[in-house]
Amino acid sequence: MSTRADPADSGDAQGKTFAPPAAPAANATSADADSIALRTVNLTLGFGQHTVLSEINVEVRRGAVTAIIGPTGSGKSTLLRTFNRMNDKVTGYRHAGDVLLGGRSIWHPGEDLMSLRRRVGMLFQRPNPFPMSISENVTAGVRVHKMAPRNALSTVAEEYLTAVGLWHAVKDRLKDSPFRLSGGQQQLLCLARALAVRPDVLLLDEPTSSLDPNATEAIEKLVRTLLPEITVLVVTHNMAQATRIADWTIFLNRGRLVEFGETKQVFEHPTEQETAGYVGGRFG
Amino acid sequence: MAATAPAAQPAGGAGTPPLRRLAGMLRARIRNGDLLRWLGRGGAVVPLLMLVLVLALLIDKAIPAMRFSGLGFITGSKWNFGSQYGTPVKSDGLLHLPGEEFGALPEVLGTLATSAIALIIAVPVSIGAALAIVELLPRRLANVVGAFLELLAGVPSVLVGLWGALTFGPIIAHDVAPLIANNAPSWLPFLRGDTGNGQGLLTSGLVLAVMIIPIIASTARDLIRGVPLLPREGAIALGMSDAECARRVTLPWVGAGIVGAVVLGLGRALGETIAVAMTCGVALGVLPTNLYAAMITIAANIVQNLDTAITDKMDISAFAYLALILMVITLASNVVARLLVQRVSGSGLPVGRGL
Ligand SMILES: Nc1ncnc2c1ncn2[C@@H]1O[C@H](COP(=O)(O)OP(=O)(O)OP(=O)(O)O)[C@@H](O)[C@H]1O
Ligand SMILES: [Mg+2]
Repeated sequence: MSTRADPADSGDAQGKTFAPPAAPAANATSADADSIALRTVNLTLGFGQHTVLSEINVEVRRGAVTAIIGPTGSGKSTLLRTFNRMNDKVTGYRHAGDVLLGGRSIWHPGEDLMSLRRRVGMLFQRPNPFPMSISENVTAGVRVHKMAPRNALSTVAEEYLTAVGLWHAVKDRLKDSPFRLSGGQQQLLCLARALAVRPDVLLLDEPTSSLDPNATEAIEKLVRTLLPEITVLVVTHNMAQATRIADWTIFLNRGRLVEFGETKQVFEHPTEQETAGYVGGRFG
Repeated sequence: MAATAPAAQPAGGAGTPPLRRLAGMLRARIRNGDLLRWLGRGGAVVPLLMLVLVLALLIDKAIPAMRFSGLGFITGSKWNFGSQYGTPVKSDGLLHLPGEEFGALPEVLGTLATSAIALIIAVPVSIGAALAIVELLPRRLANVVGAFLELLAGVPSVLVGLWGALTFGPIIAHDVAPLIANNAPSWLPFLRGDTGNGQGLLTSGLVLAVMIIPIIASTARDLIRGVPLLPREGAIALGMSDAECARRVTLPWVGAGIVGAVVLGLGRALGETIAVAMTCGVALGVLPTNLYAAMITIAANIVQNLDTAITDKMDISAFAYLALILMVITLASNVVARLLVQRVSGSGLPVGRGL
């Protein structure tokens, strides 16, 4: 809580708080280099004339789950997709400010985009298996990034299918199409695929919104088991889910960061009227 | 008779005039879908019937040549229409011109070879073009390129043939062929040797490629456009490059459809007549010695020599036999394609229909 951007000033003084961003950042780095996985610095971002995110300053704790909540269209997905640079190719995309991953800008010229995306994995709103067999799905990223020799791929597949609790359900049909699996199983498969490349950060964009309660529970439980090796960011419309799985919560509204703090505090004692209105209306 | 009308049929009750009754029954049939079902069955049978009819006609016409040449028709490579002014002679009970001999090996191999060259060039070019149109080019430019593809598909084959004979052939003879021939390794003699005069296998194959690229590319473009964004984003988010995403996700997603498009193109290439006749050199009874030599295809022989053949029943029968072989090759390529498609869809992949 102590190191976060003070949301109390979000109204007019937003930019000013961080007017000399270099100075506090430098101080913070030495103290928090290990505890901060991802930091945005005055991140402003838009598509064409339309500004989607303005002046976002946030520090994502390493090895914790951070939820991003907010009304629809508030920019949650856009923020999430900035972290693995999925927005870069959208026509009209522009950004100012910076995102630091482990202290280094994700737009640093020396940054290899493909290896950035290996380190920052993503799970989508709906399962999106590839048109290849179940085991090939799990190892798709491993093969692309040449992380394991050919003869070790089946071991990798087993390891990560086991990790997501899918091994027993699919061990007899590893060569089958993933499209015959249930939606929940497909999403677990996609999670296994994302985990198999051993990411440092995992971005989840409403990962359970298309799933039934059982599958949702399975995913939620799994997310907690990923800690502390993996830092998780999860966008969710489900307030209960945020309180169940997230240590930290970011509340976005109309592209601004309204409040950022420990989940318990954000939901129980929000410092902002806007936050209270949003979480109160959905969670009381 | 009246008893045949079931009581449940309201319009067919006793006392109504027979025409009205018939109309009523018809209406009932239409209502419960019988008529549509029969129309549907008829529609399904018609193509089959036509295919069988064409085959039967061809076989009927080809029988004399089959008896005359036997298997030699496929293994032999001499072709002689016989002495057109000679008196027909009789051998084995078959009336034919003196000197007649039919060996279609050059035609069969020529047809297969030109089509194979066309595919080798057209498939990668078409898929690359389709991917570029969908994923690389800005929308305006993509539309322009797409429109050109469709225009190209509509160019009459005689124009492509003329262009091949007048422009492309000389370029091949003077520049392309020597380049390949001089650099090909000695264990590939088929690529070496005499570079010819621009009328031959390579020119025909290239002309065919030009003709089937628009077919394959525009179909592939439509298929690739239909691939949902979500799996492609998944691939990108996993750290795949655009090329890897295309190879591992986008193309496999529509694999079966692409095979279909390629077979469509192959069918066109196998049967293409005039453009090949104008560029292959029409070397009757000659097996090409290398990639640049004059040669012949089934269709080219028929179109080029029909006027000679038409005066003699046996010559015409030989053409029917040739046509039959072409048809079998085309059908066989379709069957192979279908098996390929089944293998792809048998693995349960979403055969171009998304999720
Ligand atoms: N590719 C894009 N091009 C143009 N505008 C976009 C694009 N993606 C998002 N936007 C705009 O950015 C704003 C924020 O969208 P975003 O998807 O981030 O919202 P969200 O908070 O995730 O909403 P939801 O809860 O509905 O998923 C919206 O106004 C949207 O129209
Ligand atoms: Mg969203």
